[in-house]
Amino acid sequence: MKEVINSNWSTGSTSADIVIGLMLITAIMILCVTLLMLKVIKFYVKESINPTPFATPQEKEKRRLEQEALQVIKDKKPSIWTKLMQLKPMEEEKNLVMEHKFDGIAELNNPTPAWFMILFYGTIIFAIGYLLTYDVLGFGKSQEEEYIAEIEQAAESKVAFLANPANVKNAVNENNMEQSKDEAIIKNGASLFANRCTPCHGEHGEGIVGPNLTDEYWLHGGKAKDVFKTIKYGVPEKGMIAWEKSLSAQQISDLTNYVLSLQGTKPAGAKAPQGNKE
Amino acid sequence: MTEKFHYDNKIVRNFALATIIWGIVGMTIGLLIAMQLFKPAMNMGSQYTTFGRIRPLHTNAVIFAFVGNAIFMGVYYSLQRLLKARMYSDILSKIHFWGWQLIIIATVITLPLGLTSSHEYAEMEWPIDIAITIIWVVFGYNMFGTIIKRREKHMYVAIWFYIATFVTVAVLHIVNSIQLPVSAFKSYYVYAGVQDALVQWWYGHNAVAFFLTTPYLGMMYYFLPKMANRPVYSYKLSILHFWSLIFIYIWAGPHHLLYTSLPSWAQSLGVAFSVMLIAPSWGGMINGLLTLRGAWDKVREDPKLKFMVVGLTAYGMATFEGPLLAFKQINAIAHYTDWIVAHVHVGALGWNGFLTFAILYWLIPRIYNTTLYSVKLASFHFWIGTLGIIFYAVPLYFSGFTQGLMWKEFTPEGLLKYPNFLETVLQIIPMYVMRAIGGALYLTGVIVMTYNLIKTMKAGKLVANEAAEAQPLPPVYVAQGDDKKLHRMLERKPMIFMVLSLIVILIGGMIEMMPTFTIKSNIPTIASVKPYTPLELQGRDVYIREGCVNCHSQMIRPFRSETERYGEYSKAGEFVYDHPFLWGSKRTGPDLQREGGKYGNAWHYNHLYDPQTMSPGSIMPPYEWLAEQQLDTTTTRVKINAMRTLGVPYEKGYEHQANSDLDKQAKAIAADLQQNNIKVKSDKEIIAIIAYLQRLGTDIKAK
Repeated sequence: MKEVINSNWSTGSTSADIVIGLMLITAIMILCVTLLMLKVIKFYVKESINPTPFATPQEKEKRRLEQEALQVIKDKKPSIWTKLMQLKPMEEEKNLVMEHKFDGIAELNNPTPAWFMILFYGTIIFAIGYLLTYDVLGFGKSQEEEYIAEIEQAAESKVAFLANPANVKNAVNENNMEQSKDEAIIKNGASLFANRCTPCHGEHGEGIVGPNLTDEYWLHGGKAKDVFKTIKYGVPEKGMIAWEKSLSAQQISDLTNYVLSLQGTKPAGAKAPQGNKE
Repeated sequence: MTEKFHYDNKIVRNFALATIIWGIVGMTIGLLIAMQLFKPAMNMGSQYTTFGRIRPLHTNAVIFAFVGNAIFMGVYYSLQRLLKARMYSDILSKIHFWGWQLIIIATVITLPLGLTSSHEYAEMEWPIDIAITIIWVVFGYNMFGTIIKRREKHMYVAIWFYIATFVTVAVLHIVNSIQLPVSAFKSYYVYAGVQDALVQWWYGHNAVAFFLTTPYLGMMYYFLPKMANRPVYSYKLSILHFWSLIFIYIWAGPHHLLYTSLPSWAQSLGVAFSVMLIAPSWGGMINGLLTLRGAWDKVREDPKLKFMVVGLTAYGMATFEGPLLAFKQINAIAHYTDWIVAHVHVGALGWNGFLTFAILYWLIPRIYNTTLYSVKLASFHFWIGTLGIIFYAVPLYFSGFTQGLMWKEFTPEGLLKYPNFLETVLQIIPMYVMRAIGGALYLTGVIVMTYNLIKTMKAGKLVANEAAEAQPLPPVYVAQGDDKKLHRMLERKPMIFMVLSLIVILIGGMIEMMPTFTIKSNIPTIASVKPYTPLELQGRDVYIREGCVNCHSQMIRPFRSETERYGEYSKAGEFVYDHPFLWGSKRTGPDLQREGGKYGNAWHYNHLYDPQTMSPGSIMPPYEWLAEQQLDTTTTRVKINAMRTLGVPYEKGYEHQANSDLDKQAKAIAADLQQNNIKVKSDKEIIAIIAYLQRLGTDIKAK
């Protein structure tokens, strides 16, 4: 029982492993960068407190003045952020302050940013378009139409799948099923049996809620074709689940072969016979 | 001539204490239910502590107790100062405070007892609903009384948001609480199925809008400029985003019901209005962030402002993600998964939580006339809180995508890749562990804050009545200059302002609900759909009591992956007798809409008694008590009568026969169980819930 859970685990979790791996790598990279940054900052602090003399004081002063001049030019140029938000320079703020104040809180008479208005009107236009598409003009598919299309597409791909000769063994059904005693098949059936069937039929098919599968008595027929049919369509009124939606035809066939292989194993705690002897 | 008066700080302090206490309680319960999801033993084997009953306690405690008290704290502090007036009545303030705490205590007692109406974020039963209405009116009366006797002619933007909050929450709460009582602690919603779902999500979505958003925007508009000592960036933007926000928000509810049986036009309105919500929501965020312009150097040092910035950013992220999730194509994957849980927690932990903490750190030292005990601890709180949010949200996003995609994956043979729902749950358990760690970090921060604030309070002394003075309003007011403008005029007229905001929010609700309630074609009837038998009805009430709806949906969407897994997709006509609807909003377990007949009675018995026997590895808690407790059949008669009053076509006089029918059906199930070696008396609750589960979705399957 436990094994199946674990195997599901490992097969299904490759994507999880990849993401966790990526996260780890990212974390390590961040750590490296941080350490590097720390080094740089330390160096910078050291240099600014006690600079290594390179240039003469005159040269330094000249450089400082150059830097300052550059900074003045740079300050006058509004940044991309300022442009985007249409921000007025801080010095002009006092002209924007409105007359009223509430408990000391002033308000500025700034305009709403243009990009904000574009977003606002843009979403309104989009919303109108959306409503027209889906509910007025009928261009958009309704959810029922979408569903029908999805089902049709699935049916087509199933036909295409079965047309491929490599997939023919999946065409097995309750009319052409033949019993096999191949060990590999029975082993595969056994692994399908665990977890899916054991809650009702018991670890060894001895029967719990569901009937004993190891004796010669059958409620719905004990031939390979009958067992296949019972597994596939279930017996809902008696609590047997239909498996056709969750097991492939090949898997149902393997499972049938495993169930048939249980005949006469006489497990401990076997449930009393039910149904007819076959 | 100035008037002297005093601000009431004691009521603010009381609400602040309540905020802290209920915050810790609500978050601790949150941590408990987070752990239950990876360690079912944390359900503690008692019916009063199972996930289904405790999860609503967490949501209600955090929303109405933690955030609710924080709102009142913020409103009572800022309103007095913005209006230059003491609260209208100290007695009303006291009634409001103690009334609200009693409501919370009543909720903490009744929800674990299983007394629930099952509407999400409004699970409290009808007597509590009435109490909420009364206390809310007390709050509104006190607020408007203060506004009327104000000494400030115009109402600041914060107060607009408070007014909109008051009227809208009142409307939402009343419409969503219309129930027919059948006993002191049991009632049925008058709405059924699709209509009930629409009412619930109109309410549910707007509880987010008008309880978690608008009052907090109002508080942001007061406390942020105060903390940063900066003017509000744009008055124009406040007007635009206030009115557009309250008008548009109210329409967006149906985006919680995409691909369900809700009529298509209503779903489309939900999508369209959600998209339009981006700009109005962001209006609040940019007005806040730009108010900090010129104060970013303070942000670097002041943990309060750090909380504010991250809070506003979280608000911006959540309100951008919301419209994205409202797109049908994205919703198809995200709905029913942890993606939604992550989304709401970015809002709740980031926006509501962080703003509340910032306000507490600002306000407590002020009303205690001292300074904060430790800025370092506050800084620590900020960092551990932020880390907590990241640890909470990132794993849950990942879990949401993973599970949402696994549910939809097919093999080349055309079968579901993961037909066993449990497989998709086991896949995300590690994410649940990480989420709980995130929650624990966040809670640690709150406890550190509590320590810091207690120390602060001890260092100072409460200024219960803070002296203030202001000019009285002139008896005649002549508008000058800008004050002649239309909106300035409106800011002087609180009653007109209230009525106008009421009209603005009523439009959307009316347009969406009226047709759904009155036009027949919206819910096509299905002849084979019959009322529940008395046993099934009782079983349904057990299902409601145990809060099964918190983990199991009953709404199969029209997708191949869902019809393959669960059966035919749900039709509106199937739910006409469902008072209340039980569609659910999260699939921690599989959908149950077509559960009837899928398994035998014995399977259900064993599964309810100990889920692990039938589904090894399941995280569902065992429900042993259902097999021990006797079903209360004395209520059958009133329940049948109540249902008939609500329009369920039970024949006249059927209430007298109902219990004998109930008995017959129960005996048949007990006999069937007996055949499978399960000995149980037919009068146990488990029989009723099995009867209900076996009925689910069979009305149209049988045809």
